[in-house]
Amino acid sequence: MPTSIKMPRLGESVAEGTIGSWLKNEGDWVERDESLAEIITDKINAELPSPVAGRLAKILVKVDETVPVGADIALIEENADVSASPPAEPVPGPDVAPIENPDRANVMVRENMSVSDGNSSKASTRASSVHVEERQRISPLARRLAREHDIDLNSIAGTGIGGRVRKEDILAYVEQRQVPVGPQFTAPVVGMTRTGKTIFTPAPVGSQFVAPPSTPSTTFEEDGIAVVTPSRMRLAIAEHMVRSKRTSPHATTVVEVDMTNIAKWLEKNKEDFKKREGYSISYVPFVMKAVCEGIRKFPYMNSSWTEDNKIIVKKHINLGMAVATDVGLVVPTLYDTDQYTLAGLAKQISTIAQRTRANKLTIQDMQGSTFVVNNPGTFGTILSVPIINQPHAGILSMDAVVKRPVVIEDDAIAVRYMMYLSLSFDHRILDGAGAGGFLQTVRTKLQSYSREIDVY
Amino acid sequence: MSAVTYLEAIGQAIREEMQRDEAVFLLGEDVGTYGGAFKVSAGLLEEFGSERVIDTPMAEDAIIGSAVGAALMGMRPIAEMQFIDFITCGFDQIINMANKMYWRTGMPVPMVIRGPSGGGVKGGPFHSASPEAWFFHAPGIKVVVPSTTYDAKGLLKAAIRDNNPVLYLEHKLLYRLPELREELPTEDYVVPIGKAITRREGEDMTVLTYGAMVHQCLKAAQTLEQEDDLQVEIIDLRSLAPLDKESILESVKHTNKVLIVHEDTLTGGIGAELAAILAEDLFEYLDGPITRVAAPDAPFPYAPPLEAAYLPSMEKILAAARKLAAY
Repeated sequence: MPTSIKMPRLGESVAEGTIGSWLKNEGDWVERDESLAEIITDKINAELPSPVAGRLAKILVKVDETVPVGADIALIEENADVSASPPAEPVPGPDVAPIENPDRANVMVRENMSVSDGNSSKASTRASSVHVEERQRISPLARRLAREHDIDLNSIAGTGIGGRVRKEDILAYVEQRQVPVGPQFTAPVVGMTRTGKTIFTPAPVGSQFVAPPSTPSTTFEEDGIAVVTPSRMRLAIAEHMVRSKRTSPHATTVVEVDMTNIAKWLEKNKEDFKKREGYSISYVPFVMKAVCEGIRKFPYMNSSWTEDNKIIVKKHINLGMAVATDVGLVVPTLYDTDQYTLAGLAKQISTIAQRTRANKLTIQDMQGSTFVVNNPGTFGTILSVPIINQPHAGILSMDAVVKRPVVIEDDAIAVRYMMYLSLSFDHRILDGAGAGGFLQTVRTKLQSYSREIDVY
Repeated sequence: MSAVTYLEAIGQAIREEMQRDEAVFLLGEDVGTYGGAFKVSAGLLEEFGSERVIDTPMAEDAIIGSAVGAALMGMRPIAEMQFIDFITCGFDQIINMANKMYWRTGMPVPMVIRGPSGGGVKGGPFHSASPEAWFFHAPGIKVVVPSTTYDAKGLLKAAIRDNNPVLYLEHKLLYRLPELREELPTEDYVVPIGKAITRREGEDMTVLTYGAMVHQCLKAAQTLEQEDDLQVEIIDLRSLAPLDKESILESVKHTNKVLIVHEDTLTGGIGAELAAILAEDLFEYLDGPITRVAAPDAPFPYAPPLEAAYLPSMEKILAAARKLAAY
């Protein structure tokens, strides 16, 4: 029985996917976890690893076709022991005539076996590299430049003979990338990080906090109106936002947190930390850590309301981290966020930000989140009302840490580093008491740090 | 001082070096009484006498062999091949004697072998050779190829003063070309061996070439600029052994595309070695295939239309450059 390969779910809110290219042909041998196809969705492009080893028996969905998540896209024939049971028939090339001579047939089978036998990894590497060559023509220099500039070659159209990507294509792309890109931007660049800047923004909230991408370089008609076709990513965000608002009765509640000790610690240690570790630390790991503590105390914050009116509470705390890119928003996942130290979280954040920049997010990165923390505060906002990333129970926005005169103990007035934390929650699951208790816990944790913080 | 030809510059270099150093002398077929087949050595016999300007029998192995012996005894011979094609007769004396002597005995062999090379003058299969690749391949001898009047003189002086055997390939097509006439410095100068020179600067591709092809390529570069808006950089290698790797790599790193043009045949030619060096050292700087324009792997033809078809023409260079630019 052949195993059917299904269109994977590349992210929570993604309902369908498009085959960007097949990296294997029908009849090719595929190792387990070897890339089978390139999948394009509204959120990311990813290579689909084969779940099993076997022969790609049938491709069911052609390149550029879009199918719903879960649809069968290919069949793989698993042969547990290939050398013992040779393939039923040699894979015919397009012009191969039926084999009359049995000797010749044997030879072909043997050749076939030697490929999938013993040297299989070598053979398949060769096969796949041949494919890359076919998929895209590119000069050695362009390849190196693309690597140095973190450019996904698939998103570049070559202008050389036969569509070859060459130096000027990369340089033009890099130059264009410096210029803000307006909304006239359309489909093929889905998932590209164009500025490389990573900002925490309200995850599903979308537009109001996405890095102001751009002065649209749109041409206006005489009536002063320009009609813009949104990118696939923009469309996906739009659909998700409307669906979220329709699905969850949103309620928002806000606490004010005194971040003075953390701010002072960061002022003093930020640079040394970066020098020592090679990655930066910011307020975000502190807030994430505190959120984990809040979730442990209020597990319903880490849950989902299902269509058949059940509540699914999740044990693992996987925080989604909203990352704005110039073409839109992605929310990669930090798995088991509660298992890390502050430094460990800082490292995870930096790694995933880098992967986002390099457009290297995997399917894994785009699914499994249980709650989102976002940070529009980097844009100086002081109060946000985020929209829930479905199917979560809540979302927390951290706004800017600013100095304010604050009344402290003994009615004295002092200058403190203050931050508002806004929590939007699904009122079906939680009430004000639960939400307030959660925020209280988060605040207590954040205010519990002294000037000396052990981040390890 | 008036402008001189490429050929006169060679004569000047020989004369000045013979005046400067008594160890320098000239030997070859018809170099004395007749003044050389192309009149390179006209007047030298009268000035220096028959002991320093020696007419030899038609025997290149004897000419080169004698030169090796004289060099070992402390002289600085200049052995002329009437046509460079016939250097093959002295091949053994070069490869097994001149090239290896220093490694065998520790005694230097300061000698120059020079002669008219190259085609384009309807010389046919025995008077049109470009033999550089054979010697380029053999360790122990330097190979230089001047393309301008200034270099013709300066490189020959450097060759005569060098303590190693040097093969000096003058191009007979350039001997009397009016556009190569040049006023040379009155003071003594040399062009150092092992240094290439950029004849034209550009960003779009590097052309590596030498000898008469330098001029062909310069003309092609002009056309490419006017018709294709391409800026082609032209490196005149001047010295094939040793090669000026530094200049070559620097230029190709900058332009990322390279066209190699030589008059010698393609297979195993200088271009093959240049291509190998570039592929090894600059693979990730290449934005297109290393491209060669050279003569086909066939003996040099006699019939003028065949000769024209055989040599790297403007059309071939332009076509290769355009293809590479569009790659």
